[in-house]
Amino acid sequence: MSIGHDAFTFVRELVRAESAIVLEPGKEYLVESRLVPLARQSGHASVDAFVADLATRRNPSTLRLVVEALTTNETSWFRDTDPFTTLRQSVFPALAKTRSKREIRVWAAACSSGQEPYSILMTAQDTPELSGWKVDMLATDLSQEMLDRARKGEYSQLEVNRGLPATTLVRHFERAGLAWRISPALTSQVQFRELNLVRPFPPLGKFDVVFLRNVLIYFDLATKRDILRRVRQVMAPDGHLFLGAAEMTMGVDDAWERVPAGRSSVYRIREEQRTCVP
Amino acid sequence: MTTYSAPDQALVHAAIEQVWGSMLFEAADPWPTGVPAEFETGLQAHIEIRGGWNGRLLLTCDSAVATQIAGALLGIGPDEPVDEPDVHDAVGEVLNVVGGSVKGAIGGSMTLGLPGVRASASPRSSEESLVVSWRGNPVHVQIVPDAELAGDS
Amino acid sequence: MRALIVDDSRAMRRIVGRILVDAGFEILEAGDGQEALDVLAAHDGDLPVLACVDWNMPVMDGLTFITEVRKRAAWRAITLMMVTTESEQDRIVRALAAGAHEYLIKPFTGDALVEKLDLLGLTPTTVGDLV
Repeated sequence: MSIGHDAFTFVRELVRAESAIVLEPGKEYLVESRLVPLARQSGHASVDAFVADLATRRNPSTLRLVVEALTTNETSWFRDTDPFTTLRQSVFPALAKTRSKREIRVWAAACSSGQEPYSILMTAQDTPELSGWKVDMLATDLSQEMLDRARKGEYSQLEVNRGLPATTLVRHFERAGLAWRISPALTSQVQFRELNLVRPFPPLGKFDVVFLRNVLIYFDLATKRDILRRVRQVMAPDGHLFLGAAEMTMGVDDAWERVPAGRSSVYRIREEQRTCVP
Repeated sequence: MTTYSAPDQALVHAAIEQVWGSMLFEAADPWPTGVPAEFETGLQAHIEIRGGWNGRLLLTCDSAVATQIAGALLGIGPDEPVDEPDVHDAVGEVLNVVGGSVKGAIGGSMTLGLPGVRASASPRSSEESLVVSWRGNPVHVQIVPDAELAGDS
Repeated sequence: MRALIVDDSRAMRRIVGRILVDAGFEILEAGDGQEALDVLAAHDGDLPVLACVDWNMPVMDGLTFITEVRKRAAWRAITLMMVTTESEQDRIVRALAAGAHEYLIKPFTGDALVEKLDLLGLTPTTVGDLV
């Protein structure tokens, strides 16, 4: 009972329209597994029946639930792979050439349950050019509950299955009952802190790398613009900004320029804007 | 790696919740106290753990529940038939995954046997079982250390 | 692209198979390690690119199967992924040392398997990305 073509197409179009996230062919199973609970709750025998009903009635709250089921709570390790490959292959080596203090500062600006900052640290450890360097990592989130989880560094079996290479799992984690605990060597390297991106930032210093992924999509244009402007102010002039795959600075804050990197992009402050950042 | 602890009901329940939630898309709530958790003809799956701790896990449920579990695992509709070998295989595999999770969590160097399934009446005594609710029906799970098997057929 | 699923549980072969079919694979199946070796021998001209292998099986277990596959130069190109409920750290290390490329622990969600395929470079290039 794999999800049918019509149902998949409907969901794919809906999610694309609402979130700009593209569900590629091959993601049928993902769509089905995320929607099974919703189908069950609404008393449908199958995901196909649930989606067919939804397509007819277009109940806004159910539509919203479907989009949320497919776009939120994404907490994979090395999410989307590309940004981390880019870090290891080009961003970190470039920084290694220009930072004489052998120290780089990274900010994960919506760290959720911690997979992203830890993935960045693990990537730094896998970058030969940064061998012996200090990575000063700040991880922030709106939710104190998420920060507590991230700080604890304990992940369920299901969570460590998500995008974490087996070699990385055995190198950086230990079993803790049914769960896995990330090594203290990594947890001790991250400073976790509550921060609301919508409000003025507290003094943060300057960062060489900022991860601001899959969070701008939740804000309106004016808020997006304001956040991107304030991120520029805490960015080293030659720093690198990573956004989510469905996000971009173009038409929002044009002081940034997009630099293609693999299948994705990195954003840098335009040369002419670098000196006049207040 | 030689330290281990005997599996307890809380651990086994947590393992079941994880397996049901991710593979069967069902909750595994505790059976409400005071409600009889009985059924007529059922199915019993078993799997052995050997090493620091020696014993087995037993999962016993009504045949209709077993069929539903198989349907949920295979992702087929509630009205589609599942033949008996598929029911046995699916229920055995569910317990296999629970058993592997439990074995991994208690530590030590242990081995997991292959699951087996047979027809069975209600479990021996519901007091010593962990009973979880499958769509409102009881599923009994027992942790049976080897010593208790003496005299068992 | 072909994938071989080696698991003694038919249900598990079906679950893994469904995800792999969605990802564009043709499926071969075997119920234990020995049967899997026979399947590979029978498909010598058109080998699977991926094998998903359970650990605990009758006749020949998954670890032995992986060791056997890695002994043969002609089968070197097959990507080997353990898919098992064996979840201790030393088990994962042993499987990797024997030649497994990845390791997925049961229980898993469909997303997790697809992400492992991503890691292994085995997801189909996104043909219809443009709509």
